[in-house]
Amino acid sequence: MPESRWSEKSTQYLEIQVLKEEVLLRKSEEMIEVKELNKLYSEGRGVRNLNFQVDAGKAFGFLGPNGAGKTTTIRLLMGFLKPDSGRVTINEIDCWKEKAEVKKIISYLPGELHFMESLTALDFLDLIARMHGNKRQIKRNRDYLASALELDLKILIRKMSKGMKQKLGIIAALMLDKKVLIFDEPTSGLDPLMQKVFIDLILGEKKRGKTLFMSSHQFVEIDRTCEHVGIIREGELLTIQSISQLRDAEHQTFEIEVEKEEELEFLKQRQLNLVNIQEKSCMIRVTGEMDKLWLALTQVHVISFRQRSLELEEAFMDFYR
Amino acid sequence: MNRALFRAMFKQHRKKIAAISTGIFLYEGLLTWVYPVVAKNPAVAQVAESIPSAVKTVFGVPENARTDTFEAFISGQFFSRIWVMLMAFHGIQTANALLAKMIDDCSLALLLSTPVSRGEILSTQAGVLVSSGAVLVAVTIGGLFFGTSRFGIPINHGNYILLGILGLALFTLIELYSLFFSAWLVEEERAVTYAAGLTLLFYSLDIAGGLSDKYSWLRNLSLFRWYQPQSILEGTTNPTGPIIGLNVCSAVLWYYAKRVFERQDLAI
Repeated sequence: MPESRWSEKSTQYLEIQVLKEEVLLRKSEEMIEVKELNKLYSEGRGVRNLNFQVDAGKAFGFLGPNGAGKTTTIRLLMGFLKPDSGRVTINEIDCWKEKAEVKKIISYLPGELHFMESLTALDFLDLIARMHGNKRQIKRNRDYLASALELDLKILIRKMSKGMKQKLGIIAALMLDKKVLIFDEPTSGLDPLMQKVFIDLILGEKKRGKTLFMSSHQFVEIDRTCEHVGIIREGELLTIQSISQLRDAEHQTFEIEVEKEEELEFLKQRQLNLVNIQEKSCMIRVTGEMDKLWLALTQVHVISFRQRSLELEEAFMDFYR
Repeated sequence: MNRALFRAMFKQHRKKIAAISTGIFLYEGLLTWVYPVVAKNPAVAQVAESIPSAVKTVFGVPENARTDTFEAFISGQFFSRIWVMLMAFHGIQTANALLAKMIDDCSLALLLSTPVSRGEILSTQAGVLVSSGAVLVAVTIGGLFFGTSRFGIPINHGNYILLGILGLALFTLIELYSLFFSAWLVEEERAVTYAAGLTLLFYSLDIAGGLSDKYSWLRNLSLFRWYQPQSILEGTTNPTGPIIGLNVCSAVLWYYAKRVFERQDLAI
């Protein structure tokens, strides 16, 4: 074969390889993509002009008050609802047009869990495993997860408590070992101990390169598992923030009650950031060093002193209100 | 059709199917046990003949039909009304439990989160529905064969099998329009109301059409017009046409149910 033809062939081969890599790279960069998404119900609720992406291997937390549009967004991702306009893709697969195809890479945990009540947990998990192709690894994962979450799989589902059903839902989702996890309020109904186990399981999944999209009311689980968080209210995405950026700007909030009104005046004069001022109590926000606060507090009579729950959560409460 | 889902769904409904089957079997046992006593008593035939034709219509006995045969007895006591109502109720209730209820309570969400398509899931649910109807029809005909042979009542088995096939075609159509309403309305209460309402409408048209010649045209609007158990059992009517017609209607409904369900918004 003449040299020029060899070189032509090898150039073509290289071009194809570069194209293939570009496609793979593109696929691996944006696992979930939501573009100008609109879905309105007849009564006016729904989601409006949603835009966001979740990169492969990253976790995206979705926060918002009840009725904000979190579950509607998840139903659109799952291909249960048809978008009025816009596009939802996972790994470049259209979630509505190719709704069966996209499920090959998704594990899903619904917000409201209802099972076929007359089956045992084991029968139900077997059914889900079979509907996913019944790989042997799924059964191994099932047994591991059942022991981690301490769930007896021989119990009839209709005899299970809400927390037990939640554990069953988590096992059904995680045993499948899919690339993308879509969870709607996953720890609702779990006790604090099991919430911690769940967070550890999710962190384990993340280490294995899974992409996570999770809606929640529990700020702790978003804080501990997600890189980015989106806030939705009344169907509109208000902001998307990275958790690390938020940490840089994080502040602490304390609730303080003093003995006399004048002491509150004194605290005001110490250039502290007082908010929500009542007769003898207030909240104080502190960013960075705490010295100024401690110094001021030594000079007043403190009746009660309490740190507010979580700082990042505090930062987001404003969006909720 | 998804085999794993079919098995799980059938398991969900098997107790109900077993209970209805037992009920049918025992009732047929009772009728076949009683019939020889009734047949020997000429007063019973006289009473039956003296019943006004409007009342006969209500109980599904054709005008000018014989009243002294086992076919007349079993049609009037069971096949004309009780069996139809029981099977229609079972079809509507089961179709609703297999789809609209699962959408309403969101239990379909976990099944639809698998790579099995909506069409395949609907086919499986329809498979469970039609199979359970077929089991009940088979138990009915089998139970009657057992009862008649046990108590020495001579029957033409072929005609009973034809009635079973016609019954299956009729009940499949009722099941499929119930499934269609479930797929279309995706709401348990409305789906049941529409399916039960339509069935009652067909039933009422059939009865009203039989009460007077003036309104006989109403029977042509009813599905039950095609279902004449006594004349089929006596061999005076060939049910092949109605069986084909009912199956064609079922196929059309099935096509639309699948189409609607594929495109339906499911808030699950």
